[in-house]
Order: sequence, then structure tokens, then C-alpha cells
Amino acid sequence: MSSSPLPVQGRNRAAIVAELRRLLPRLESVGAARALPFGLADFDAHLPQGGLTVGALHEVAPHQHGDTPATFGFLAALMARFAPSSRPVLLIAPAHVFAEHGRPHGHGLQHLGLDPARLILVETRNEKQALWAMEEALRSAVPAAVGGVVARLDLKASQRLQLTAGEAGLPLLLLRPAAAHVPAKWSPVRRQGHAPINEDASAAATRWRIGAAEAARDRFGLVTHTRWNVRLERCRNGRPGDWLVEFDHAAYRFSLAAALADPALSRGAGAPQFLRRTG
Amino acid sequence: MLAADVSGTPRVVAANAAAEADGIRIGETIADARAKSASPAESLQESLQVRAANPAADDAALRRLALWATRYTPAVAPFDEKSGADGLFLDIAGAAHLFGGEAKLLADLGERLARFGLPARLAAAATAGAAWALARFRTSTTILAAGEERAALAPLPIEALRLSSDTLRTLRRLGFRRVGALIDNPRAPFAARFERELLRRIDQALGCTGEPLNYILPPPVYHSLRYLMEPVAAQEAVVAIAQRLMCDIVHALARDGVGARTLRLALYRVDGGVQTLDIALTRGTRSAPHVARLIALKLERNGEISADTLDAGFGFEAVGLAVTTAERVDATQAELVDDGGTAGGDAQASERCAELIDGLAQRLGPGSVQRLAPVASHLPERAETAFAANAEGAVWAAPDAARPRPLLLFAQAEPAEVMAQVPEGPPRRFRWRGVLHAVAKAQGPERIAAEWWRSGTDAPTRDYYLVEDDAGRRFWLFREGLFARETTTPRWFVHGLFA
Repeated sequence: MSSSPLPVQGRNRAAIVAELRRLLPRLESVGAARALPFGLADFDAHLPQGGLTVGALHEVAPHQHGDTPATFGFLAALMARFAPSSRPVLLIAPAHVFAEHGRPHGHGLQHLGLDPARLILVETRNEKQALWAMEEALRSAVPAAVGGVVARLDLKASQRLQLTAGEAGLPLLLLRPAAAHVPAKWSPVRRQGHAPINEDASAAATRWRIGAAEAARDRFGLVTHTRWNVRLERCRNGRPGDWLVEFDHAAYRFSLAAALADPALSRGAGAPQFLRRTG
Repeated sequence: MLAADVSGTPRVVAANAAAEADGIRIGETIADARAKSASPAESLQESLQVRAANPAADDAALRRLALWATRYTPAVAPFDEKSGADGLFLDIAGAAHLFGGEAKLLADLGERLARFGLPARLAAAATAGAAWALARFRTSTTILAAGEERAALAPLPIEALRLSSDTLRTLRRLGFRRVGALIDNPRAPFAARFERELLRRIDQALGCTGEPLNYILPPPVYHSLRYLMEPVAAQEAVVAIAQRLMCDIVHALARDGVGARTLRLALYRVDGGVQTLDIALTRGTRSAPHVARLIALKLERNGEISADTLDAGFGFEAVGLAVTTAERVDATQAELVDDGGTAGGDAQASERCAELIDGLAQRLGPGSVQRLAPVASHLPERAETAFAANAEGAVWAAPDAARPRPLLLFAQAEPAEVMAQVPEGPPRRFRWRGVLHAVAKAQGPERIAAEWWRSGTDAPTRDYYLVEDDAGRRFWLFREGLFARETTTPRWFVHGLFA
């Protein structure tokens, strides 16, 4: 600590709170963590340090079971943004996930900005091995980002992964798939059409929930840009939010579709050049 | 029959017994040979088979045979060009007694070669020259006692001395037919007229001067074996011993500039059984801790498959580590400060990547760590392959914006029940995996025809549609079979999912 603590008698409440606010983030995080901004002022305002913390665990979950490909697309776009260097990117998943949802297709990944030459696919037999592989990959400090698909994750395992990612300074992006929707007459508990949501306690830095959204089309009706409903559910030292995000294939950039955006955003002539509004 | 182009026309270089029975001789042209072998009943092609001579392959095969022959003696030399390049010298000076005598050794060698399908002529003598001559010009296997070279060589023709063709021609013109004539005459006139080669060869054949032979060097073997004072059964102990064995081998590897690519760990049990563990790496390594770590991971994986990681019995009394494949590894300059992201640490980064891939592959099993490579094929399921990962990736071309491809692709397209306008309308509603989707927008069709050059029959054409349902989810459907041209009931499938 750079400054000496104030004597107890002279402090008032506001000063104590200000001191704590200054000290706590430093005590909690492992050094000055780097953050990768999205390039969208609205987004980055909700995230701590103005962007996604690089050395941390981030969880992405689909809104419903059918939104899993959209969630995986968001994950792939995020992985592509982290360190656009030639370092490899690992994707670790148990084999049954590929059997259920399909295997990542290299030509499709190119449209999301992830160079398939950088991708290393690791297929494991079960989730325990997948967690081990993720830890190994993080500790080796070889990849630029590690992505994984894990359905069940308890608090201890997630804390361990968060610590390992923090020490290595690499992002770990986890996809938490929802269980398939069971028809009402088979399930013991009637559900309202939503898949059971993973509400386990987790030590992740941010939790996102992604839903599919209609794509932006041009005047011929051809898909130009993918869109997702992105909700930041939980964020450590940040604020939750809800957006409709559009992903630019050509420029590999995110931008906001203004449908759910803040009305304050529609003003702002001084916005930087890379921000585009739609609608 | 082998042919090679000599002086402009293809000539016969080698012929088998059947060809020689027909009267074909080495050195004549192929046209003459065909004429001799053609019989009125058969066609030309069937009776005579001519292949191009491949001297490089012959040399390689001879070298391999020489390596095999080191089972008899470590000193084996293949014939060089002057001696005909079609045989081997074996120096059996101290090795004959191991096989029960020279006769038995020759008999064994001849039998094994015959089993390979290589009829051979063998001879043993006190000098290399005499042995060569006897093998060439005597029909049966001969063993010559020391001191009898003069008598044995005398009746042989002068080709038995391995002289150059010019010398041979001159000698024939002068009237010398047999070696005996050369040996009996005084030496001085020969020294005056011919090069020293003639006298050297005579002396070598008779044993007056030595003949240096170019023995082949067998490829180096890197292995290390340790006998333990007490039998060992614990996994950690085995891994620690393996690391020390690797440290022993590293010196030899570094001296030769190679790294180990595949290794075999042999564990010898007290009761006589042997257990082996094979480790494969993505690139050659000289790092002992890395190899030890891979062995530990492999044992863990074995422990997962079968209940017992190491079936040690009463313990292991000896542990051996051998390098089964070695690969050239260039020494790289290590960085003083390991800063992961800089370009200077590129070689180190790719080495660490190889180590990570090795570790994952050992623990998770072969085929679990893969990279994708593009394949030039129209069919989407064939447009890429997965190969076992190494430190480098394949090169991909830029994507085509006009041809959208899904993010997730099914290996087998799943059938769907689709309602669409006949004959070529886009889908309106479809049921897939038990869920009904109503199509809001459909983009397409992209027509991908089957690869007619691959399959004999015509596989049906596919029309791909990128459909989006009410919820905003995008699917890649295709209709298989053109209505009324290929089939009356086209089927629909879901092939992939878009982000």
C-alpha cells in the first residue's frame, strides 16, 4: 500500500468507503489484469476495467437448448478477438457434445473471424478429462485463448479454473449447454418451455446468456450480419445489461443494433468511427 | 528383365533364368530380346516383361541386405561399382565358430537368402579377391583354405580379377585367357605396360597386399538399460528411473544432432515378463522432464483403461529406454527472458505447443487432439479433414461471402420432414428432432452436385437452403434429388447449424 492508513479517530464514513473502494479491487485481482474492450462504449461501460478481463473465466450459456449454436458462435467470435496473433486457440469438449450439436466446421468458423488454422480441437471422453485438459492448456501458457464446453461445474472446480486462468493471464471461455428440452408429458416437473438453467454458483468473472436473433439482411434478403440477443447476467465489479448485438462478418467487429439500446445512445455525434448503429 | 538406356538404345541389364533359357544375353538390345522370346502361340506382351532398371533402388536394397547380414558379423561391405554392385563381403574372421564352422555358416546364409527369394552364390576364402572370384566363377559353394589361392585362381578366366574393361581387352588381345597365365609370368613386363591396377589386383587376390573394404556402419541405436538393486513396483519410481535413463541417452542424441521421436520403455519383471510402453511425440525432443511427464500421463491413461496402471507382479528388476525413431533436431537459440508473446520466442513457443499437444494426446488417447485442414471438395462433409495435431496448422483460403457455411456441421446429415412447394420451392415448415419450426426466411438454393468422378453411379444433387425460423435460429437444410429429373420423392436433411 502506498499511503499509510488514517488514524481511527479522524476518519469519517465516506473516507472509509472511498479507501475500501480503492483497495478492494487491487486485493482481489491478481495484479493489474488486462482487459479487452469490445469497442462499444455501452458494452464496455458495464464491464470492469472497460472490457473483458483477459486472465479470467467467462461463462456463456444459451437461453434455450436451441440457442446453443448461437452461443457457440458468440464464443467463437470472442475467442477470435483475444490476441489476434498466430498463437493457437484450443477448443476442448467431451465427445458427446460434438455428437449432439455437430462438429465445428472450418469454413463456418472463418465467417466468424476465427482462423481455422489456429484452432486445435480436443475431444475427451468425459467432462472430468475436459476439465483436466483445460487446466493443462492454461498452465502451459501456449494458446491465446481456451474454449471449453462443460455442462456441470461445481464451485470448487470453477474457482480452480478461475485461479489458473488468472495466473496464466489467459482467458477461459466456457460454454454451459442447457439440457435438451424434454416434452412435458415425460418430465416429472412441468416446465414452461424453458430448459433447466444452470444456476450453480460459479466463480466466473462474467456470465452471459445468449439467444438467437433474426439476422440483418440486405435488400435482396441475403443474410449480411449475424445478430444475437446478449444478456450480461452477472459481472464481478460490473453492471448487468441486455443488448442486441450485431456481428460484422467482414470487419470482424461487434456493433449494437439499437432496438434495445439506451435512448441516450441514439445521440452522440462524437462517437468513434468503428461504432455503427443499425435500425 | 531389366532394361536401361545404354548408348542410345535400351539394352538388357539383367535377366532371370527363364529369359536366359530363351537365349537372351545381357547387353543386347530389347528388340533382339523380344524377337528371341516371342513364340507364335503367345502375344509379345505376355512372354517378355521389361522393366526399367533402377540402380538407386538396387543400392538401397543391397544396403538393407547388408544390414541384415550383420547378424553374422559386424563387418559387412557391399560390393562397390567396380566389383559389380550385386553382392556383399562378410569378414567372418572371428565369427565362424559361433555358427559351428565356416561350412555351416555358409549353408545357413545360403538357406536364408533362398528363403528371401534371392538365389546366391557363396564362397569363402582367405582374401577378398579370391572369394569374389570363386563366388562368381564357380557354380557351387566353395571354401578355400589359406594358401591355396594360387591353385584355385589359376583356371579362372581373367575377369575374375576385377580389372577395368580396357585392361581386359588388351590382355585378351595379347592372348591371356586365364589367371594362371598372368600369375606364372614374371611381373616386370606387366608393370611396364599396364597400370598398377593389374599387379595390385593379383596381389590382393593372392594375399600379398591387403584390400581395404568399406564396411557399412549400422545406424546408431540409442538405448539405456539399468539393473535395479531392488525390484520396484511404484509408478513414481518407474517414472523417476525413466527420467534418469533419458538423461543418459540425451548425450548421445545431442552429439548426433537428433531428437527422439518415438520411444519404447521396457520394464522387465522379476518373474521374467516384459511390459512395454510406447510413447510418440509430435517432434523430436531431447528434454528428459518432458519424456518423464509423458510416461507418467501414459501410465495414468493405462490405469484408466485397465484397473491396474502397472502390472508389476513382484516388481521390476530392470528398466530399459530405447529410441525407436530419431529425427533431426536443429539446435535453436534459447531466449534469455521467456516472454511468451514476442516474436523472438517463436521457436520456443512452437516447442511448448508441441509439448502441450504431446501431453494432451498421451493422456486423452490418440486421435483426441486434432487440427482442421481444408480439402478441395464441393461436398461440405468432405470439404475439410481433421488430422492429428502438430505444432503447425494448415493454410486456409479466404471464405467466400456468396457461399455461407454453417458453424456446426453434422457428420451425417439428419433427416427432417419438410413442407415445401413442389417442384423447387424453399421449405415452409419443417420438423427436426421432434420439434416443429416455421420458416420465416429462406435463402438459397445453392446447388451442389455430386462428384461424378468419384462414384460410379450418379448420386443425387443437393439444393442447400439457409433457413431462419421465427425464433431467429438458422439451419442449413438441403433437398436431395431433383424432382422429376432424378427422383419423384426428394428427401430433406438438416446438415448444419448457423450461429
